[in-house]
Amino acid sequence: MKKIGIKLIVLFLILLVFDQALGGLLDVIRDHAPDGRYYKATYSLNACDEDIIILGSSRGESNYAPYLIEDSLKMTCWNASRGGQGLTYFRCMEAGILKRYTPKWLILNIETDILEYPPLEEHAGFLRPFYHKHPEIRPILNEISWSEPWLMKSRLYAYNSSFYYLMRPYLIKGLDGKSTDQGWKPLEQVLSDSHKEAIDIIDTNLPLNTDAVRGFEAFTHKILQTDCQLIFVVSPNYGEQVKRSSSLQYIKTFAEKNSIPLFDFSADPFLTTHPENFNDVQHLNRQGAIYFTNQLIAKLQTIQ
Amino acid sequence: MLFNSIDFAIFLPIVFLLYWLGTQNNLRARNALLLVASYVFYGWWDWRFLSLIVFSSFVDFYVGWALGQTENKGRRKALLWTSILVNIGFLGFFKYYNFFAESLAGAFTFFGQTLQLNTLNIILPVGISFYTFQTMSYTLDIYRKKFEPTADIIAFFAFVSFFPQLVAGPIERAAHLLPQFHQPKTFSYGLVSDGLKKMLWGLFMKVAVADRLALYVESIYGHVGMHTGLSFSVATVFFSFQIYCDFAGYSLIAIGCAQLFGYDLMENFRRPYFSSSFKEFWGRWHISLSTWFRDYVYIPLGGSRVSNSRRYLNLFTTFVVSGLWHGANWTFIAWGAIHGLYQIIEKGIFKIDTRVRGHFLRILIVFFFTCLAWIFFRANNITDALQIIHTIFTEPGHHIHIGDKGIFAFSILGISVLLAVDFMQEYYPQVKLLHHPKIAVRFGSIIFLVLYIVSLGVFDGSQFIYFQF
Repeated sequence: MKKIGIKLIVLFLILLVFDQALGGLLDVIRDHAPDGRYYKATYSLNACDEDIIILGSSRGESNYAPYLIEDSLKMTCWNASRGGQGLTYFRCMEAGILKRYTPKWLILNIETDILEYPPLEEHAGFLRPFYHKHPEIRPILNEISWSEPWLMKSRLYAYNSSFYYLMRPYLIKGLDGKSTDQGWKPLEQVLSDSHKEAIDIIDTNLPLNTDAVRGFEAFTHKILQTDCQLIFVVSPNYGEQVKRSSSLQYIKTFAEKNSIPLFDFSADPFLTTHPENFNDVQHLNRQGAIYFTNQLIAKLQTIQ
Repeated sequence: MLFNSIDFAIFLPIVFLLYWLGTQNNLRARNALLLVASYVFYGWWDWRFLSLIVFSSFVDFYVGWALGQTENKGRRKALLWTSILVNIGFLGFFKYYNFFAESLAGAFTFFGQTLQLNTLNIILPVGISFYTFQTMSYTLDIYRKKFEPTADIIAFFAFVSFFPQLVAGPIERAAHLLPQFHQPKTFSYGLVSDGLKKMLWGLFMKVAVADRLALYVESIYGHVGMHTGLSFSVATVFFSFQIYCDFAGYSLIAIGCAQLFGYDLMENFRRPYFSSSFKEFWGRWHISLSTWFRDYVYIPLGGSRVSNSRRYLNLFTTFVVSGLWHGANWTFIAWGAIHGLYQIIEKGIFKIDTRVRGHFLRILIVFFFTCLAWIFFRANNITDALQIIHTIFTEPGHHIHIGDKGIFAFSILGISVLLAVDFMQEYYPQVKLLHHPKIAVRFGSIIFLVLYIVSLGVFDGSQFIYFQF
């Protein structure tokens, strides 16, 4: 019994050394990423100081061109959106940014079903490498599971499954978005027009997910306590016009109640019917993003 | 409780220390501790279903005891049927009732008739197929006079619910495991050390390989009709390794965990994808279940001591029943039937002599056909399975859906490490990294595995596939 106990302790100590050393090395790699998702998250959490911050998932990342907004509104702009993410990620970004400064505007790209499904907590696990350095995001990431705070004792676990995307920008530059695009990740394909024959009218009344609503309220509550102007924007999808969704209904009521501007392009008759503006049915391509951003700018100018 | 959970990481050391330090070498106290620990382990999932294990244990303990008291053939038969009916009754109710009701109603609809049968909104108790088979083997062996009934009710209850193998096997025979509950145990450094290493390798198979592969497999099999044949081929190969690592990983953790308490469980997997015939495959895959079906279904049906045609029918029946054991779905029955046909074709038509040349080619052929059968096992229904096979053979396409490149790359890496280790164990068994005479190599291997698991394991608490069976 004693022998196995001693060996287990020795092993544990060796593992601890490896864990700390490798974790430290990976921290350096993360902090020096030339571009890509870790560069973007590092910049968003550590350094961004733009007047306008855009938050969203992949549609937020590909549909908004910050340079156009800067040129037109004469305000600096950073697109902090990240593909595959949801409310948990938005809350982390919000916490990290508001801890340092208060942007003038925060544009949140809203998915029309955002409150009908769980808030993608585990997807925000890609922010684990920032867990130790950013105590403000810890309670949010801890919502992934009750074991998260225990697992995060390991510095190496913080980088679990992240190596491919952590190393890739060092080998291939710009694949995950160029640093010069200010967080925008323009998509270059053109959707074939044979994709859809008729416009789908979305008219749903699904029950809201309580965790998602809680996440949304936590997000909005925090930003509404500051001087930052929150703005909701709904991006268009190709071949689909949203007449009604319970998420949108809820958010529209919420926006009205709190005087939050909401610009809804989900039923835009031009954007939703022109495939040449889309990379795929859910994401605008570069040309579409430029058109869409200009349309949005016209609306933003009304509240400037 | 899942082996790959923090709950278990806390539970196991507590039970381990109590077992070796808190029971003062008292056998009854140790069995009682294991029984309580096992019920906590199971009840962690849903304590209400503990009543099923307790009831099943009571019935089989009583039946075993009563069988030992009588030589009357009629009474012995009645007792045996009581045990079988209770256990199969539980299985039938919880696992198969809805399936049979829906299938029957479907059959009536097919012939233009309507049959109204209500389905039940019931949960399948975790591990019910495993512990019912284990406890049935006890009464069956006593009935056949191959085993003497035990008078120690605590030991028997602990045998039925022994937590390392309670929910997903290996399905132990009473003759092998129950006597171990009557033997005093002394702490063995070698056994515990080996047990921990087995648990580590099992955890690697589960968390770093199976769960990683599952992410890709789900992204393809979850969208039948949207992917090319090439993507389905890759997903099917991935699934073959996923299910192997999931189940063999669980078995290894179970075997290693039992060793921590001085118990020896039977080997359940022996590198099945290095089989050069289907007969060999079933001697290496889920060995505890294959031998169970051999002893309690195939041999009682007449086994191979009958005419060839009857023998093939026995084989086919055994595999179909084995398929049904895996799940209440036609896909599992089809999977069992396909393996039955493989065996018949192999034995009856090709009469393959595994000693002749072409060993590696035969391994590839067996793997190919095993993968083909896995499609039925993994698909949601028979229609999907047939569509996937149709897509693979008629519309292979030029594009493989990679999805998340990180997941795909680490899936390949996991399979590579697994295959390298399995290959060494198969052909160079003298190379033992985790049991190497040099401590640096041993420790190096352990550290590599732990770091790999921490870095590339999937920690979403996913269930072991075989829990559902």
